[in-house]
Amino acid sequence: MENKFRILVCVKQVPDANALVYLNDGIPEYDEKTVYVINRYDEYALEEALQLKDCGLTSYIHAVSVGPHRVQKALRRSLEMGVDEAFCIQSDDDRLHNPYVIAQAITQFAQQNYDIIFTGVMSEDAMNQQTGQLIAAMLGYKHATGVTELSLNNTTITITRELDAQESQMYELPIPCVISVQSSIHKPRYPSLSNVLRARKQEIAIIKHDLITSTGKTKSYFTMPQKTTQCQFIEGSISQKVTELYTILHKNAVL
Amino acid sequence: MSILIIADVKNRTINPSTLEMLSAAKKIAKNNTMPIYILIPFGNIGGDSYCSSEFKTFILDLNIEQYSAHVLVKYISSVIREVNASYIIGMHTPFSIDYIPALSVSINAQCITQIHSLDVAERITVTRGSHAGKLDHHIVINDTPIILTVLPGSFEPYTITDVQTQHITTIHIPEVNKHIYCNFITKDMKDTSLDEADVIVGAGKGIGSRENLSLIYEFAKVFPHSAVAGSRIVCDYGWLPYSKQIGITGKSIAPKVYIACAISGSSQHVAGIKGAKTIIAINKDPCAPIFNVSHYAVVADIFEFIPQFIDFVQNNA
Ligand SMILES: Cc1cc2nc3c(=O)[nH]c(=O)nc-3n(C[C@H](O)[C@H](O)[C@H](O)COP(=O)(O)OP(=O)(O)OC[C@H]3O[C@@H](n4cnc5c(N)ncnc54)[C@H](O)[C@@H]3O)c2cc1C
Repeated sequence: MENKFRILVCVKQVPDANALVYLNDGIPEYDEKTVYVINRYDEYALEEALQLKDCGLTSYIHAVSVGPHRVQKALRRSLEMGVDEAFCIQSDDDRLHNPYVIAQAITQFAQQNYDIIFTGVMSEDAMNQQTGQLIAAMLGYKHATGVTELSLNNTTITITRELDAQESQMYELPIPCVISVQSSIHKPRYPSLSNVLRARKQEIAIIKHDLITSTGKTKSYFTMPQKTTQCQFIEGSISQKVTELYTILHKNAVL
Repeated sequence: MSILIIADVKNRTINPSTLEMLSAAKKIAKNNTMPIYILIPFGNIGGDSYCSSEFKTFILDLNIEQYSAHVLVKYISSVIREVNASYIIGMHTPFSIDYIPALSVSINAQCITQIHSLDVAERITVTRGSHAGKLDHHIVINDTPIILTVLPGSFEPYTITDVQTQHITTIHIPEVNKHIYCNFITKDMKDTSLDEADVIVGAGKGIGSRENLSLIYEFAKVFPHSAVAGSRIVCDYGWLPYSKQIGITGKSIAPKVYIACAISGSSQHVAGIKGAKTIIAINKDPCAPIFNVSHYAVVADIFEFIPQFIDFVQNNA
């Protein structure tokens, strides 16, 4: 194969799984101790891109992240994993943004420079599952979501996208295209020592950007979730809980 | 002003959950004369019975093997314009989520995904889970058109009583857009253990390692007709095969009892357990979202609780 591909991976930084989210006037907030990490699905997107690099199929891989200053840590980590250059579309507005606004910022950045744009299938905090599709629509590229396997041909890419335990779709996308990667058996790599050392010296390019928050159209707020079942909490010491659960399972005729 | 429902596809046929979107649409249309339209994106998925005198149905003249997000967006956008749809409703499944948000750009409307409920007052407020199910996100709709995707299992399926095929319009698609494009790969599901079990014990990321699965297997062995399954993460890590994954991209289960062990209860996981008669969750986090959909909650460390439970059963059997 002669072609080498120019690749962009969109990386979002999210609070880690242990972070405690609380509400301030209907807006989710985290305390200063919160540890931020790369969104799990974006790590899988990075891995898919880096596997193409391992096979010598890329001319470069860039990572881009939209957010406040702290997102540079996610970009640094992307460099450590093996990305060639990193770009921060910096906006000081630390709230969760509408995916349309994020997609616009990335689209503006990505104009014509990339053959394949990778995103994760979803972000763990906002859970919108839209950014990849929106970027593709804005750029006029084809796209696929929920991708678990891919292989490059000269001018196309063959993808497998997963539907459920039983079924998946397989088809070819013309390049340029946008691919939203689903978590899979392809475990994201740990950075090698040499990459960590290289990444330490690299600069992260900063692009100042004011995210235009959509006002007027929709108003939104957050609450604690409502329970959909009447859940009975089994109380007491561990041994009391054991006895109680045994009784319940016995009544349900499964024990 | 109208409502357009975009039918979902499962196993290459129309997904019966499409009827749940009809209930959501009826709710939005309440006290209102807004007409409801159904769009069936393919001609060969058995959508012909999704029509009645109550609403008009459009079928795109495409085969499912000609699936292309691009082509669907193009033709569905023109239907949206033609019927002047204010609310466009799709299903939040891996199939439909591939293209529905892209409509957003072509019709210049916001898309709100993964809705599990909606409240109709002076304005319509939709609610979706966020932050791994730890929060609910409410959005008040002030402007239309708007695109919504609804989580399967969130609304009661609507019953179509008078099927009347004269209300179907087929939308012609030019040959240039009709490539046989997409292969569907169906895995042979020889493993029926999850379909047959009375009790399914689910392992989540909180089990910590593949080795610790032995504890889950021992726990399951306590029950006469049982099976072990897991969350997606557990399968991604290779601790269990994907055939054992429960959820929206895995299997849907309907045992007498489902016991979720160290599973947080993300909406994608929960979508697969709605059929279980009784749901029990064991989780060390008292705020774990799984408790919101469980019947019984055990707040405990599985490594403490499960061994003691096994001992208790062995001594009392
Ligand atoms: C498009 C898409 C489709 C998806 N489809 C699916 C799907 O079909 N099925 C699915 O499961 N997921 C699916 N997911 C992933 C889903 O969003 C979650 O990431 C996943 O379900 C979380 O798995 P978990 O609950 O095992 O892990 P976590 O969310 O990490 O939860 C672990 C839980 O274990 C608890 N815990 C930890 N240690 C202990 C202990 N010692 N004792 C007791 N409790 C403990 C913690 O309190 C926590 O609640 C999908 C995601 C996307 C984007």
